Amino acid sequence: MAAVSYKPYFSAGLKEWIFTTDHKKIGIMYGVTSLIFFIIAGLSALAIRLELFQPGLQYMSEDSYNQALTIHGVLMQFWWAVGIWSSFGNYLLPLMIGARDVAFPRLNALSYWFFFAASVLALLTLLPGNEIRMLWTGYPPFSLNENAGPVAFYALIVHLLGASSLAGAINLVVTNLTMKAPGISLKKMNLFLHAFLAMNVIQILGVPALAGAVTMLLMDKYFHTAFFDPTRGGDPLLYQNLFWFYSHPVVYVMILPAFGVISEIIATFSRREIFGKTSMIFAIWGIAILGFMVWVHHMFTSGIPDWVRIIFSYTTVLIGVPTGIKIFNWIFTLYKGSIRFTTPMLYILSAIFMFLIGGLTGIPLGLPAFDIAVHDSHFVVAHFHYVLGMALTLAAFGGFHYWYPKYTGRMYSELWAKIGLVLIMIGSNLFYFLQFIVGLEGMPRRYADYPPIEVWITLHELQTIGSIILGLGLFIAILNLIVSTKLGRKAEDNPWQSPSLEWLVPSPPPPHNFDKTPHMPEDWDPYNYEWLEKQYKK
Amino acid sequence: MKEILAYPASYWQTMYEIWLIISIIIYLVVFIPGLYFLIKYRYKKGINEKAQHVKDSKALEVLWTIVPVIVVIYLATQSFAFYKVQRTAPEGSLEIKVTGFMWGWEFEYPNGKKVYSFFNSVANPETNAYLKPEEVNDMFKAYIPAETPVKVLLTSRDVIHSFYVHPAKVMEDAVPGRITHMWFQINKPGEYWVFCREYCGTQHSRMAAVLKAVPKEEFEKWLNEGIQVSDSNTSTNF
Repeated sequence: MAAVSYKPYFSAGLKEWIFTTDHKKIGIMYGVTSLIFFIIAGLSALAIRLELFQPGLQYMSEDSYNQALTIHGVLMQFWWAVGIWSSFGNYLLPLMIGARDVAFPRLNALSYWFFFAASVLALLTLLPGNEIRMLWTGYPPFSLNENAGPVAFYALIVHLLGASSLAGAINLVVTNLTMKAPGISLKKMNLFLHAFLAMNVIQILGVPALAGAVTMLLMDKYFHTAFFDPTRGGDPLLYQNLFWFYSHPVVYVMILPAFGVISEIIATFSRREIFGKTSMIFAIWGIAILGFMVWVHHMFTSGIPDWVRIIFSYTTVLIGVPTGIKIFNWIFTLYKGSIRFTTPMLYILSAIFMFLIGGLTGIPLGLPAFDIAVHDSHFVVAHFHYVLGMALTLAAFGGFHYWYPKYTGRMYSELWAKIGLVLIMIGSNLFYFLQFIVGLEGMPRRYADYPPIEVWITLHELQTIGSIILGLGLFIAILNLIVSTKLGRKAEDNPWQSPSLEWLVPSPPPPHNFDKTPHMPEDWDPYNYEWLEKQYKK
Repeated sequence: MKEILAYPASYWQTMYEIWLIISIIIYLVVFIPGLYFLIKYRYKKGINEKAQHVKDSKALEVLWTIVPVIVVIYLATQSFAFYKVQRTAPEGSLEIKVTGFMWGWEFEYPNGKKVYSFFNSVANPETNAYLKPEEVNDMFKAYIPAETPVKVLLTSRDVIHSFYVHPAKVMEDAVPGRITHMWFQINKPGEYWVFCREYCGTQHSRMAAVLKAVPKEEFEKWLNEGIQVSDSNTSTNF
């Protein structure tokens, strides 16, 4: 496909960015917003770690500690773990299916600007007087209390993000189902596309539950309804049910796209098709469906009837099965491959082995006999930081590096990217593995201060050192990505030799993506690396 | 045999060990072949330049679906069996009522005796540093008989709290408008922490109390002495 001359992103003016409906520019705007908030949330995590270095309150008050916890949780969940996939989805999905743009480009721009509005509101909560201290969960009756901060802010943020997610999800689902180029069937879609399809379906089904929950919260606080206030006949556990009915499935919104990225990268650098692709697709949908049947494990100690806990313990552990299938298939994708240890490959191999730890430590949290001692302890925190903080983040950074030449037309520095990865791995394992142990020792979550128990102190000191190394690694990795947009050497159109469609257009892609609608031949497949070699011979 | 410090922590311990062994086995089952493939099938010029075509294997897919299903069903069922014990207070338990509030705990004994623990009673009044359980003033300590099961009926006066008995490795939320329950037994006399495990605002991390496990006779003596004094004093304070 011939290259045409076009303007690269850098030369586009501010006006062009603001009024753009180009899915690639919107994807980049999502990515930049997401990364900025990732950095803010990361800095608040560092503040939390410094405070926990020793017992006692050294650097901040309890209230500012609780605010830091809230900022870290909300920003990491909504802006990083969910938001970053909007960036990948927007940029790559139309390219992968051979489409000119998404199905509703203007709606797509609106999605981003909703996201942007929510971002502005989130920044406003940093101002004195606007602090929210009810954590990202916002459980009533605490959130109905003065101490919690302005709930209206939070509700509005969730509504804006929800509108953004819903519009974005509908857009990408429609694009995927109706705009595939001739020759790309559901069967010939790569696993990235399957993962994004499932993820967006979860968003469409789940977001209304959360929107409903925060609306009821808002009405309870300001209009004196009594959904959740027990003093007026409400039930605080109703909120938890509604909240987790979305907020558990949302972890699969976060992790399924990461699985998609892992599948793309591991296939490309093993130079062979994904092992057991059909069962991988079934596993994705298995996770999506089972994901809606497990939310009660967040309420295992909340006073619900014991028999409910038992039923949900079975559904919860069963979700380990499709997840396991994915891991086994990735490992067997390596079998008889010709493995290239490039930077993206190293990132996602780390992601797989860290996800394995995160997954295995998730299983006991689904067992009430185990959970009864570690619910709301640092063990839980460590578990989801292995899954989201490490597996997801490593997969996202693997994706940044993998598609970097496509996004920017340049290559990053291999050396600095690898130094970053090594530091990230050392730092986060030191940090999060010891967090498991301090959790098993009984340390409760969300504690600004803790009693002088010697084991706890030692473990907290080491964790803080780990978190600083982790921060340094992330800093190097991000800086490398930024600096290389100017200093990196020019990249070829298809540096990784992948037959997936996004690699068959120039780097960076022209504004219209394809000169003419691509017609994919019978023997083409996104994982058929021999097909690509044959094309070169022709 | 090692002496058991507390119930139902011993059941948790067994569950933990079963899970840990299974997890390590699963990790190795994935990690060792993974590492082997990574080394064996790495790209080498002239030797391993091209991947070989491998057919999907139905047998393998079925294997790694069925085996994990069996493992997780076993784990959930084992947990079910333990959980029944962990949740059912033995007969003859001492029943106490515990009420959480922002920020402290109220313990009420069957004869009406009450003990209050406040967020500032676990801190040094001058330096505001967190104390060790032994250093806390005795009047804020909730006495319990050693080697006797204690059933706790929980509720809350304002927001959701959670009652976590550190040595017994058991917790349950204290929800306003509901009465929840849990039980524990501490065998070794001594002083132990109770923590709030559900986020409840500014002093959440100080919402702790000290349980003092004492021999049964000593407990009876403590229970029946100075009921009125302790009660009225702390009530007016509160």
